[in-house]
Amino acid sequence: MIKIWYRNFLFFKKTFLVSFFWTILEPLMYLAGFGLGFGRYVPPVEQLPYLEFYFPGLLCSTIMMVAYFESTYPNFSKLNYQRIYTTILMTRIDSSDIWFGEALWGTTKALLSAIGLVIVASFFGMYSHKLFLLIPVLLLTAWIFSSFGLIMISIAKSYDSFVYSTSGLIVPLSLFSGTFFSLKDVPETIRTIAYCFPLSHAVEIARTVLHKDLNSSLILHFAVLLAYGLGLSFLSLKVFNKRLSQ
Amino acid sequence: MSLALSCKAVSKSFKGVPALKEILLEVNTGECFGLLGPNGAGKSTLMKMIYGLNTPDSGDVFVQGLNIKTNMAEIKARIGVVPQDDGMDTDFNALENLKLFGMYMGMGSEETAAAIDILVSELKLQDHQFKRIEALSGGLRRRVAIARALLHKPTFLVLDEPTTGLDPQARMWLWSFFRQLKKNDSTILLTTHYMEEAEALCDRIAIIDHGVILDCDETGKLIRKHAGEEVIEIDIDGEKKSEKSYWIQKIREMNLNYQDFETKIFIFFTNLKSRQEFTSLIQSTHYTTRKANLNDVFLRLAGYQIRANA
Repeated sequence: MIKIWYRNFLFFKKTFLVSFFWTILEPLMYLAGFGLGFGRYVPPVEQLPYLEFYFPGLLCSTIMMVAYFESTYPNFSKLNYQRIYTTILMTRIDSSDIWFGEALWGTTKALLSAIGLVIVASFFGMYSHKLFLLIPVLLLTAWIFSSFGLIMISIAKSYDSFVYSTSGLIVPLSLFSGTFFSLKDVPETIRTIAYCFPLSHAVEIARTVLHKDLNSSLILHFAVLLAYGLGLSFLSLKVFNKRLSQ
Repeated sequence: MSLALSCKAVSKSFKGVPALKEILLEVNTGECFGLLGPNGAGKSTLMKMIYGLNTPDSGDVFVQGLNIKTNMAEIKARIGVVPQDDGMDTDFNALENLKLFGMYMGMGSEETAAAIDILVSELKLQDHQFKRIEALSGGLRRRVAIARALLHKPTFLVLDEPTTGLDPQARMWLWSFFRQLKKNDSTILLTTHYMEEAEALCDRIAIIDHGVILDCDETGKLIRKHAGEEVIEIDIDGEKKSEKSYWIQKIREMNLNYQDFETKIFIFFTNLKSRQEFTSLIQSTHYTTRKANLNDVFLRLAGYQIRANA
């Protein structure tokens, strides 16, 4: 498992500059564009200045995006074009090891991008020690979307297949999970739908931990994330193993 | 002699279509064994079982006495595989690919480095080890794949079409390299589409088609059994169907082995005398005499039809 992770780390080291660039530049653009630019016209949301309201949402959706993209496109290439999984399976590493290594790498990469975002955010005065409390939630969220990405590569026929999961799920989640606007202000139906998916729970926990008083509802939100994490891991490992045995 | 590979009534189907039907096969330790067959014959299915990407529906495969169903991890440490498409990690250069494979294999970094040193010089990769995989020619890429297969010092080498797509020079170079390996008592299992390659390298050959082994024997014996010593090829003018039936009637009268295929007739002679007898009858100049070869055996056993997935 760690060997697969290490292989990705070695490759990451080679392309570090490109990754570094985007890790810093993207959050900078989002925070400046939405938080400061757009946020200037917006009154406080949930009693928070817009930038403060928006930051936890951006943190969680960045985690989701990076984990998802990191475990789909590069791994789809490894599976179908480079065919390195076939090579790796000729060694003592089995397909479950590969799955764990890739899920762990997607999670790592997402966490690295979150660190980049926090560094940038600190220039906007957003740094808080409370961020460390969020690490388990961020890791779990990253793990959920890495697992999901690995399900997608196991069933995708071509790169085009990812359009369904990206446009059909990931982008809507990034928009409607309480990231840009409060779920308290939307119709009941939309709120219910949003809470059927994991990102809204992660955002709710992050926003509460950073800016509000802790309350018992956080346990429920975390329980939903945990259930998603376990369920998707199980399903993902299953379809991934099946795909690799073909 | 101990067995490097033993297949006992191995069957495998994919979505109800049988790929292997109760295959019985034995490969002795230290021999170079060729598995030949048209595309879709079942070669790759069998090869993949040996390196752990497939399991039989019924029957058993033993590699050096170990069952692939229960001892695959141990088998993987003992066999070296050059797969059909080389599965190189194009995110890394040649040397890094070897190092990564050593790591996947659970070798220490010093052990890997020492093995790489030797293989890089044996396979003449010194000037190419730092190149990106995509910058390597087909022949060089295959040499890296072979170095990778030999890294953990396997005693059983599985070569799945190792020279497909290579130019003649690269192919000749690899043949001589494989001959060197044979001298070191390594067992080699080879699949190929090139009959001259199988003839040049293999001690014994099995011809497989539609999931069944059609015959298995020493290379020379196989040729003599199915194609005799010499072959005459007669070219028929495509327009003249009567000419073809004339020849076939003659051949039948003389009780000779033959095969006709479109505008050609192949006649197989078991000895020089019968061949001379026949040539004395022929006035036509549209014929050639040559030694029987594995190609004749292959085509006689597997037929001439082009496969749908060829």
